[in-house]
Amino acid sequence: MADPLLIARGLGVRFGSFQAISDLDLSVSLGALHSVIGPNGAGKTTLFNALSGTRRPTQGEIRFRGLPITNVPACRRVHLGLSRSFQLTNIFRDLSVAENISLALQAVAGREAWAFWRARDPSRVSRDRAAELAQTVGLASRFEARAGDLSHGAQRALEIAMALSSDPKLLFLDEPLAGMGLDDVHRTKLLIRRLAPERTVVLIEHNMSVVLDISDTITVLAQGRKIAEGSPQQIRSNAEVKNAYLGSAA
Amino acid sequence: MEDLRFPNWITLAMGVTLVAMPWILPSLTLASEILVLATGALSCTLLLGSVGLLSFGQGLYFGLGAYVSAILIRDFAVGAMAATLAASVAGCLVAALAGLLIVRRQGVYFVMLTLAFAQMGFFLALAFPKLTGGENGFGNVTRTTVAFEQLPLSNPLLLYGFLALLCFGAFAFVQRIIASPFGSVLNAIRHNDSRAEALGYDVRRFKLAAITIAGGIAALSGAMNTLLLSFVPLSAIDVESSERLLIASLIGGVGSPLGAFIGAAVLSAMSDFLSPIWPRWSTIVAVLLIVTVLFLRDGLLGLGRILRRRPKDALNG
Repeated sequence: MADPLLIARGLGVRFGSFQAISDLDLSVSLGALHSVIGPNGAGKTTLFNALSGTRRPTQGEIRFRGLPITNVPACRRVHLGLSRSFQLTNIFRDLSVAENISLALQAVAGREAWAFWRARDPSRVSRDRAAELAQTVGLASRFEARAGDLSHGAQRALEIAMALSSDPKLLFLDEPLAGMGLDDVHRTKLLIRRLAPERTVVLIEHNMSVVLDISDTITVLAQGRKIAEGSPQQIRSNAEVKNAYLGSAA
Repeated sequence: MEDLRFPNWITLAMGVTLVAMPWILPSLTLASEILVLATGALSCTLLLGSVGLLSFGQGLYFGLGAYVSAILIRDFAVGAMAATLAASVAGCLVAALAGLLIVRRQGVYFVMLTLAFAQMGFFLALAFPKLTGGENGFGNVTRTTVAFEQLPLSNPLLLYGFLALLCFGAFAFVQRIIASPFGSVLNAIRHNDSRAEALGYDVRRFKLAAITIAGGIAALSGAMNTLLLSFVPLSAIDVESSERLLIASLIGGVGSPLGAFIGAAVLSAMSDFLSPIWPRWSTIVAVLLIVTVLFLRDGLLGLGRILRRRPKDALNG
């Protein structure tokens, strides 16, 4: 097995008296497409928030490329090479697709974001690069459209483009297929598969056929604990998983 | 979509208006009052219009700038240019310190903290009458010169010219910021701060920077007020002072720095024309504010835009 890029040890997140995640170990290998599945309320998004830095864990530690990042805020983690998309579409609705992606590019363009005395520097934040990213996710034809006017599927695609803008080593995708039409699902599935092994991808997704189809490794959560981990074949035949998750769906 | 070039036609129009104002308006004092209020309102426009931060406490920096410049001019015989500069720097410093605490909170708590700091400033001014003159105000500020004993501000037209230059400088500066990469980040934070954070922007630091700049601009307008009045009333630092700046920017519209100027012009002109006729004229301001908040979210500036768009909509519909 390849070197782990991200390691979480004994991770716990508690909201008041509710333990959303308890004593969780997770190891994400370099270049893997690692999915996290589990029934609703299993703690998947909470785990994402802890790993990407939006929610500080109450226990345990997180290491990324060997560095301890447990208490590093989300905005700093982006600069280390971690990036994420959101379960609920989180974009700048009133700005165009081009502006959305440019803002994402500018965030990692050194000190460009602090320049207040001049106009935007095209050599630092290039429109071509933004157009390229739009192309990657299939939004080239809607480049100048207002993000809020895009279809739901296109907004999800824009989320991915923005998450890709920082050229992340590790990309967290939180239910990228949620609410997508069939055509979009297929296209996005291929897009996600293509991201690895150049990038490491951690994916939360409810669409089981997609998860079983494209993942290298699958971790199954239930009630904030890891109940199984392995290849798609192993997960498919795991009795405990069937009980906790697949069984309830079938 | 706001015109994001700088300088643009608004910069030019602003310059022309400032030059023409003394000849259009009935008194030079009114024109000068507009400059002071417009500059102060710009600080609220920058915070609310760009970053989406509502500050009820810009009067603190206005008052601070007024006192700092007054003390420097009267007690240390400093020229007007150096005094306004020092006042702005003081405003930036205090805003940065207060901002360190204020940016830790959001929404209502943010607003309350700005108000609390402003109140603290007021009571400090009251508590140190030796420094500020307390309730009697800080008087006898000499009519100084711009710098190096040149250009005496006792000449009213020269005073207007100097204030106009400062106001224009602040206006162009805010326009420059809005149309810069830094401005695009502030805009992103206003639209969706959690997304901005996830993209890798340190949202708190950007907010702090905006608060610092806005504090400097408010302090500049306070110093301009001192030059105009040769006096600092205690009311320069009270909560009503904060309110005035905020109301001017809201009535004009926070979507563009031009709104700060329009709001300041309307407010100052109303005060000038109506206060001799009707002592309760501020009732009209209250009504105007209610109408703005309820129906004209972009202020009087938005009204202009709506009227301009009407014919086009009629064609399309």
